Amino acid sequence: MTCEEFGRVLPELEGDHHNSEREEHLKTCSSCSGLVSDLNAISAEARLLVEDQEPSPRVWNSIAIALRQEGLIRDPEVPALLAGSRLRGWRLAWLRPVAIALVVGAALFLQLEHIPRGAPVARQAATSTPVLRTDGVGQDSAIDADEVQLLNLVSSRAPAMRAGYESDLRAVNAYIRDAETSVRNNPNDGIAQQYLMNAYEQRAMVYEMAMKRALP
Amino acid sequence: MEHRETLAKLVVAVLFAGTVVASAETRQEFRFKVHRRASVSVANQFGPIWVKPSSGEEVVVTAVLHSDKVEVDHTYSLNRVSITSHLLAGADAESGRVEYQVSVPADANVTLHSATGPLRAERLHGDVMLEGNTANVDVRDLIGGHVHIKTLNGPVTLTNVSDGHVEITSVGGDVALNSVNGPLVHVNSTSGRIVYDGDFGGGGEYSLMTHTGDIEATAPSYASIDVMASSTQGKVENDFLLQPTHTSLAAKAGNAFAGTMGKAASSVRLLSFSGKIHLKKR
Repeated sequence: MTCEEFGRVLPELEGDHHNSEREEHLKTCSSCSGLVSDLNAISAEARLLVEDQEPSPRVWNSIAIALRQEGLIRDPEVPALLAGSRLRGWRLAWLRPVAIALVVGAALFLQLEHIPRGAPVARQAATSTPVLRTDGVGQDSAIDADEVQLLNLVSSRAPAMRAGYESDLRAVNAYIRDAETSVRNNPNDGIAQQYLMNAYEQRAMVYEMAMKRALP
Repeated sequence: MEHRETLAKLVVAVLFAGTVVASAETRQEFRFKVHRRASVSVANQFGPIWVKPSSGEEVVVTAVLHSDKVEVDHTYSLNRVSITSHLLAGADAESGRVEYQVSVPADANVTLHSATGPLRAERLHGDVMLEGNTANVDVRDLIGGHVHIKTLNGPVTLTNVSDGHVEITSVGGDVALNSVNGPLVHVNSTSGRIVYDGDFGGGGEYSLMTHTGDIEATAPSYASIDVMASSTQGKVENDFLLQPTHTSLAAKAGNAFAGTMGKAASSVRLLSFSGKIHLKKR
């Protein structure tokens, strides 16, 4: 059995330890046996989680630190007044963009690994047209370098759709900018918070749909 | 004589061209036996998908392929049917177009994806999930199931939908809700216009929110609602005489209002960042 064949039957492995061919492969392949060990560990940990418990802040901090190191996110301009917000809903609101950034970052990395030589390089295209986001109130919301990369990926597979996605990204980024300003000015306003969550939900949807177009 | 010969040649040429065009299109039909609450999904990059209820416990899929640059893949497992348009090398929006007509048991859960659409679902009781980029989404006569719709810029129209959760997220597409009632109706739009014409009935929670789009809601004089409307930078109009209510919303003439009508059975929130809001009386 090859690693590729093993990967195909992996979903059927749970609870089934009687297939000698699979067991033999696990004994000889450290990569596949390591993967099975990791999956078993995740499965065991997941069973211990109580349904309505939130992961500790340390988990999200770890994710945020990793993303900053990768350059996928920057520190938001949040005044001290918003730090340590008492509202639990905020933790959930920030989870989505972090999770989406993780997915986008992983997908971009995988996609770049598969770009053949001679094809336009997304990173070069991104840096040749710097369109850094400006977060000042009243200024147009541009799209950042990561989003330019995403648009380049969309272009590589569906060129006719790039303009539409770019327009949508600008619109939702403007929405996020206005919503963040509103929350900054009225941190206890439930409506302002709802606007911000809606805005991030919109951006997550645009990212998700763009990724579907970009991936083979 | 010459004229007749020329005409005959022309007729033959037209017939031949028609045959060539017709032969490029292929019609395929698939049938799958399913049980209660089957899951049916159709993913079609280019072209319409129409879903309606079937008479028996069977999923029938009719696909018209516009060229040989696209093929229909399907998977069928227990109670799950998945149909995908597989674009081959060189396919574009025209050659990769497939038109689907799908009949499913009324209680089936349906998921449709199409970039261009249109997408249409009618007379179903199961959950319906529709996703499209610029697809025109048309949903009508759905009772009891949850409806989830995501579009970037395609217009969305719901007609006679009740007794389920309705959640619509659209960046720039206009959303029209006609006779839509249920325990939960949420519309989240960035720049699209939201138009609601119904009763706000069912003791539900109605939330119509947009960033820059306008909101127009029409309700009858007997509507029983606890309504809040606010536009941070736009104008707000109200045709009803509302009973004042205790709310954190600072009623600001021209930009916000809040109050109740009847027994305030349903909660209604009409919120736009910079668009206009009008609560109209039918």
